[in-house]
Amino acid sequence: MKYLGKKIITLIMTLFLVSAAAFLAFQIIPGDVVTSILGTEATPEREQQLREELGLDNPPIVRYFNWVAGVLKGDLGVSYRYSKNMNEMMPVAELIGDKLPVTLWLAAAAFVLIALISIPLGVFWAKCASVPKRGSACLSGFLDAALGVATQAAMAVPSFFLGILVTFLFGIVLRLFAPGGYVGYKEDFWSFLGYLLFPALSIAIPKIAMTARFLRNSMLTELRADYVRTAYSKGCTGRRVLYGHVLRNAMMPVVTFLGMIVAEVVAGSIVIEQVFGLPGIGRLLISSISTRDFPVVEILILYITFVVIFVYFIVDILYRVIDPRVSEK
Amino acid sequence: MIRIENLSVAFGRTEVVKHVSLDLRDGEILGVVGESGSGKSVTALTLMGLVSDSARMTSGRILFDDVVLREAGKPLDRALYRSYQGAKMSMVFQEPQTSLNPTQRVGRQVEEVLRLHGTLTKEERKKKVLETFLAVGLKDAERVYASYPHQLSGGMRQRAMIAMAVILHPRLIVADEPTTALDVTIQNQIMALLRGINQKQNNAMLFITHDLNLARRICHRVAVMKDGHVVELGTAEEIFERPGEEYTRRLVEAVPSRMKRISDAESDRKTGSESPVLEVRGLSVYYQEGGNSLFSAQRKRRAVEGADFAVYPGESLGLVGESGCGKTSLSKAILGMNRRIEGEIIHHSVRPQMVFQDPYSSLNPAKTIGWLLQEPLRAAGALDRSLAMTKGDMEAAAYDMLRRVGMGEEYFHRRPSELSGGQRQRISIGQALISGPGFLIADEPVSALDVTIQAQIMELMRRLQREMNLACLFISHDINVVYKMCDRIMIMKDGRIIEIGKTEEVFENPREEYTKLLLKEG
Repeated sequence: MKYLGKKIITLIMTLFLVSAAAFLAFQIIPGDVVTSILGTEATPEREQQLREELGLDNPPIVRYFNWVAGVLKGDLGVSYRYSKNMNEMMPVAELIGDKLPVTLWLAAAAFVLIALISIPLGVFWAKCASVPKRGSACLSGFLDAALGVATQAAMAVPSFFLGILVTFLFGIVLRLFAPGGYVGYKEDFWSFLGYLLFPALSIAIPKIAMTARFLRNSMLTELRADYVRTAYSKGCTGRRVLYGHVLRNAMMPVVTFLGMIVAEVVAGSIVIEQVFGLPGIGRLLISSISTRDFPVVEILILYITFVVIFVYFIVDILYRVIDPRVSEK
Repeated sequence: MIRIENLSVAFGRTEVVKHVSLDLRDGEILGVVGESGSGKSVTALTLMGLVSDSARMTSGRILFDDVVLREAGKPLDRALYRSYQGAKMSMVFQEPQTSLNPTQRVGRQVEEVLRLHGTLTKEERKKKVLETFLAVGLKDAERVYASYPHQLSGGMRQRAMIAMAVILHPRLIVADEPTTALDVTIQNQIMALLRGINQKQNNAMLFITHDLNLARRICHRVAVMKDGHVVELGTAEEIFERPGEEYTRRLVEAVPSRMKRISDAESDRKTGSESPVLEVRGLSVYYQEGGNSLFSAQRKRRAVEGADFAVYPGESLGLVGESGCGKTSLSKAILGMNRRIEGEIIHHSVRPQMVFQDPYSSLNPAKTIGWLLQEPLRAAGALDRSLAMTKGDMEAAAYDMLRRVGMGEEYFHRRPSELSGGQRQRISIGQALISGPGFLIADEPVSALDVTIQAQIMELMRRLQREMNLACLFISHDINVVYKMCDRIMIMKDGRIIEIGKTEEVFENPREEYTKLLLKEG
């Protein structure tokens, strides 16, 4: 419980620091939201008027704390750029609320694919690699090498190209989905998920390769550990040693690695969203930065920070579950 | 009952075990002694069917009660071996720390043997594990059962390993250096336990060790191995009293024992007349626990309490104690690596230099020997311009030091990986001495080395001490090594120096009970 309290305090402090840093960055980088909205031709009076409307005439420190107070009250502010109708600007909450689920579902689908494929693949690969390379073990030696090449290739392909490849293969050749036929999650959830599978696959492929490779190496290291010899000396079969003793120990570094991947995926896969035409937060983030839509960017940064810290928190807990040595330090 | 006939094992093209024949009877303890690389461990692992897959049996066979377990030229019958492993033959390993699975409870790991062999129910298995724990001296059996390995002490872990090995009363127990990783006082308890099991269960025991004193005490017969061959095989008495082979004689002589000392009459210097190089007065050393995060409270723990001593030029002062007694904390404080201290440390010479235990990890593998030897000079020059030397001078000093530590000039351009353990330790010593300190701290400098190499390194240190009038604080857990090396000796226990005096006086008339215990067991 004490541990949980500490973690929550750390989370809050980090969110403060990151939001302040983002705010500061917006003060420093060149570019003015007013010019970017009105263009360079506007009269100084009009500019001044807009500045007051947006609250930009206050000193930065006041603006920052106004913003923090707003967020704490649940008011995420309004966008500088997107309008709801003729008279009102779009509230950030509404703007993001629409796009966040898309990104989250995409991340979840990608992660499920990564976990379901990479772990069995890594174990299988480690099995191939640990067989001594002589006599009848020819096949496993070949598989080991082949997987090495395949994963290397999967990691090296840039994600936009992988997206195009997946679209081409599954969309155009195999006709498993209609490229560009995105269905909103509110309209038909299952069609939405069916469409999401392919961008998720594009995200997952390089990560699967990395994770499988990582698990393989981790398992091979563990297989050389002394306790493995002890297990054999008791009369364990190779299978029992692998699943009963080695796997859990080998998973420890892999869990950390998976955590890093989740954090990365949840923060938005901008390129993939673009390639598959998904209205997620990745696209929103890019356009908001280029138009100096500060309220939107601040909230997105807060969200990403929160997700990353939260995922690491989960990883920490998982670590304690897997390795009894951790919790006692 | 066990016969190893004409066994040869090769890794690739190199044979590491050559035509070894051994046999064991029920109830007999056969010791296999030899230095590292002599093939003793590979022999044992081959017998147990645990040698790695890259090893090949090139000749001979292994018989267990006339059943051929393994024969050269035939593939290993894993299923046959599995029915023997754990049930009829079992093994106790050197490192109880790493030999247990860190993420499984100890009870479950021991119980696995029962699950693999036999048909007991869950409750019966647990009952039997608890009984065995009690039998191997783990009194708090229930707690041990539910503990993870890291929650137990080294001695308890080794007892758990032994419980795992004996739970099914195997006919053969192979013990590979079972006490090397443990403290002296624990060592003896574990040996007594193994001995007791051997007598009670009447199993044969193959006992592998590099410690000849130990082999002599517990083995009925002893085989001496060198370069893969058994050079001599006989009763323990024959081997140690009347060694037939030259190599055995050398091995027996190299063992540090109370009989032989290097520190000669000349070293019986009148301590006190000269001014010391180091004075320590009322020194307590603390270290902090926790405090890694912003929130956890920092606790101070006292590692050394009220230490008072001085080190004089040219003398070796031995510091003896078990792990955790504060030896290393004390040396770190003297080196200035820990500043949480009370009391006084007064250096009357240049900062002392340090020689570490493990010559494998303490030399940067990416650099040449010459570079490594010059590094302290470069560092000194960078800190203080007046000490800076020219490149030529530094190289000359490095060559000179190579010669002094007994190594040829050709090593100047080699890298640590091309050197043996003993050679590396020579380089470590050279590195410590090149800046010409008057005072050296050596933390277990020979513990990682084979006996014959140990003797050479100790000779070297003694010689350098004489030549350079060097004071040395010699830290060791091995009381025999200290006896051989040191003029004076300090005994440390639980952070306190409980006894200090001339080596002979302490050995002949120990005042403290603990010292007597150490002397008896060492």
